[in-house]
Amino acid sequence: MKLEEFNNAVKSKISCGYEFKEDKDSYSNPSAWIILKDKRDSEVVAKAIKAYKGRCVVATAYKNDGEDVHTVIYHFDIAGTIINMQLQTDDATIHAITHILPSANWAEREIREMYGVEPIGHPNKDRLFLDYSIAKGVLNEYISLSKMQLGVSDTDVLWNNVNKEAN
Amino acid sequence: MTQTQKITIGPFNPELEESVYFKLEADENRVVTHVEIINGFIHRGMESLVTKKNFMQNLILTERVCSLCSNNHPFTYALAVEKIAGIKVPLRAEALRVIADEVKRVASDLFNLSMLTHLAHHHELMRDTMNTREHMQDLKEIIWGNRMDMSANQLTGTKYDLDEKKIELIIDTLDRVEPKLRDLQERYENDEIFREKTVGVGVLPYEDAIEIGVTGPVARGSGINNDVRVMAPYSLYAYRKELQPKVTLREEGDVHARAMARFGDILEAVRIIRDVVADMPEGDTYVEKRPHIPAGEAVVRTEAPRGELIYYLKTDGSQKPVRMRWKVPTFTNWEALKVMILGDKVDNVTMILNSIDPCISCTER
Amino acid sequence: MAKIIPKIFRINTGSCNGCDVEFVATAFVDKFHITSLNVELVDDVKDANLLVITGPLTARSESFLKNALTKLRKPFVVVGVGTCSVSCGIFRDSYAINGPIDKFVAVDVNVAGCPPRPESIAEGIAKGIKVLEQKLNGEVIPKKIDTIFSDFSAPASFRGRMDLNADMCTGCRTCETVCPSTAIKISEDANGFIHKIWHNSCCYCGNCAYFCPTGAIFSTNSFDTVKLQNEKYSDVNVSHIFYDECTCCGEKYMPPSRGLLSKSYIKEDRNKLNAAICSKCRKEENFKRMYG
Repeated sequence: MKLEEFNNAVKSKISCGYEFKEDKDSYSNPSAWIILKDKRDSEVVAKAIKAYKGRCVVATAYKNDGEDVHTVIYHFDIAGTIINMQLQTDDATIHAITHILPSANWAEREIREMYGVEPIGHPNKDRLFLDYSIAKGVLNEYISLSKMQLGVSDTDVLWNNVNKEAN
Repeated sequence: MTQTQKITIGPFNPELEESVYFKLEADENRVVTHVEIINGFIHRGMESLVTKKNFMQNLILTERVCSLCSNNHPFTYALAVEKIAGIKVPLRAEALRVIADEVKRVASDLFNLSMLTHLAHHHELMRDTMNTREHMQDLKEIIWGNRMDMSANQLTGTKYDLDEKKIELIIDTLDRVEPKLRDLQERYENDEIFREKTVGVGVLPYEDAIEIGVTGPVARGSGINNDVRVMAPYSLYAYRKELQPKVTLREEGDVHARAMARFGDILEAVRIIRDVVADMPEGDTYVEKRPHIPAGEAVVRTEAPRGELIYYLKTDGSQKPVRMRWKVPTFTNWEALKVMILGDKVDNVTMILNSIDPCISCTER
Repeated sequence: MAKIIPKIFRINTGSCNGCDVEFVATAFVDKFHITSLNVELVDDVKDANLLVITGPLTARSESFLKNALTKLRKPFVVVGVGTCSVSCGIFRDSYAINGPIDKFVAVDVNVAGCPPRPESIAEGIAKGIKVLEQKLNGEVIPKKIDTIFSDFSAPASFRGRMDLNADMCTGCRTCETVCPSTAIKISEDANGFIHKIWHNSCCYCGNCAYFCPTGAIFSTNSFDTVKLQNEKYSDVNVSHIFYDECTCCGEKYMPPSRGLLSKSYIKEDRNKLNAAICSKCRKEENFKRMYG
């Protein structure tokens, strides 16, 4: 599959504009980045991936430094070539693509629990990995709301004992 | 009127290597009619931890994602760092990385097969598989210093090197192991007790496999080849095409087919190790011990024993990653379990689970 | 004296599976002699009297572990296998980790290692059986139990317990920086540095030895990491790296390591080049030599 061909396939369908970048890994395997201006265009890209018999490998999310904006990157594969689709959301929602590409199922659920970004239209509402004793969006915090923030870490507690007993 | 039975398995159960909780419903013939799987028992918050540790510490933390594919994680993480830093790894280091990786693949796949025969109550085959694996365990301990976690990788190369004596030891070990592997392969293929338990069990049809996006031996068992070493070759597989594995594809999509696809991987791994040590590139084993890592982002992939492993890394020029995310084969293969288990017998559930070679610690991080 | 059949049940509370895989190897590979202990692997926790627990105890595992513990009949023993079970090791201080397990269950034997060798796991189980027998007979649990499997050995290259050659160390803190599981702490007092390696937090990766610029820290091939719970915080390697007194001004200073010097000065007489003076005095002396 030629990346240019894929770009042509999505060009007319993406309504709000995007940036297309080609890249290569250290071993010259080609890949592409599609950076969407509007997150709602994710569905048309997902449909194009499906049309090319591709799959969603996984998706990454992160909270942009110092702002209430999340970046979400879907990593797709078509016949061994990676296509990354990047979008941003400022209202903690994205449009789920799991109904188009079932392979995106867990990736979207994880974005919900780890970042509190809701994949609208996702068929499954349950938590995946994160225990209910831990608040949703745990990865949003730059310094996580772990025991560390309460002042004393487990490392401090255990090493105190070590220092008492080993001299 | 049919009677629905509710059955739970786990989370702590000797038949489950790692903790997971099945809630099943079955009809009067103990055929599974509903399956719910509760995950998260091995979720350790590792994607948060990696951003609190520096790049050197993360060489080891990534290795502790999972002990069975423990070499693939630091390997792939290093590839991501090297892509961001624009560092070309010496050819000798690429060779050393591939050797470590394929040794792990043999040991990992053999462990899965031992567990499979254990669950199929074929104890003789189980012990023989386990004992064959022990040769690889001994090799790992002598060359790398630990039976599971090799600590082989270093940013920009490897921590270890091989001298003549160690290469000889590798060849000797393979000479001893290979006939045993061929014998085992023949038995796994034809043994009647084993076939009876595994043929036609836990079927994943080709179409479902495509839709769910499975990879690795699970995909190969359903007739799909998406081996990263072939589709997007990296490291020495990129420079020496003849190293790329000739993968075993099976059409049946059942527990047996997946086991045999894994056997294909094992024997190819042996062949790859032999080819690499027969023609070791000269030169350094790494570029810099503590390289500077500029701001950037990278997406890289390798083929772990269970299939495709992908790493996303984002850096800002500091000593720690801003974001690191990875996806292991089981993460996607897991959804296929529902297809495999539904309509099969309750008593086959743990064996079907085992047949995707689930790595829950990898999946849940 | 009552003889008991040790009945083992393994609980994985969130391990990377290394300890669990090695537990299987210990149980099913003959050379690790576990059969000589006449143990039985049971299918249900309620039938067990020897619990093998792996992992750092994840949030989701906590309630299930507590529930499993209620099903046990006393007396029973708990053998924690792997560094994670002892101190949460490399996963400590994550939001998802609620361990170590001894917050919730009285542990009897700890087996540090990442993962421990099957030989260590077998040893841990053997020591667990001793404790179980003592509990059953109402005996006082000793502070220490001698090694039971004395016939096991490890290859020279095995990454076992770390050790420090204090003469080579300058307290540069590289090992502390690269250690992924906070097993090394270096503190300072009036006489110099105190270097501690806590074996129960160590993940035996060898990162410290690999990055150490002077070769001061190194791994031995000792896999003697099976200890009773009362030794948990005292199984520590403590080294003192002393300051020298400057022969010129009398100030205390950290002398360069012999290891570092032998790398830097291959031919010259190191002692002459590095008279026992502090860096401040050396600067002054050099200045005088060049401009004075």
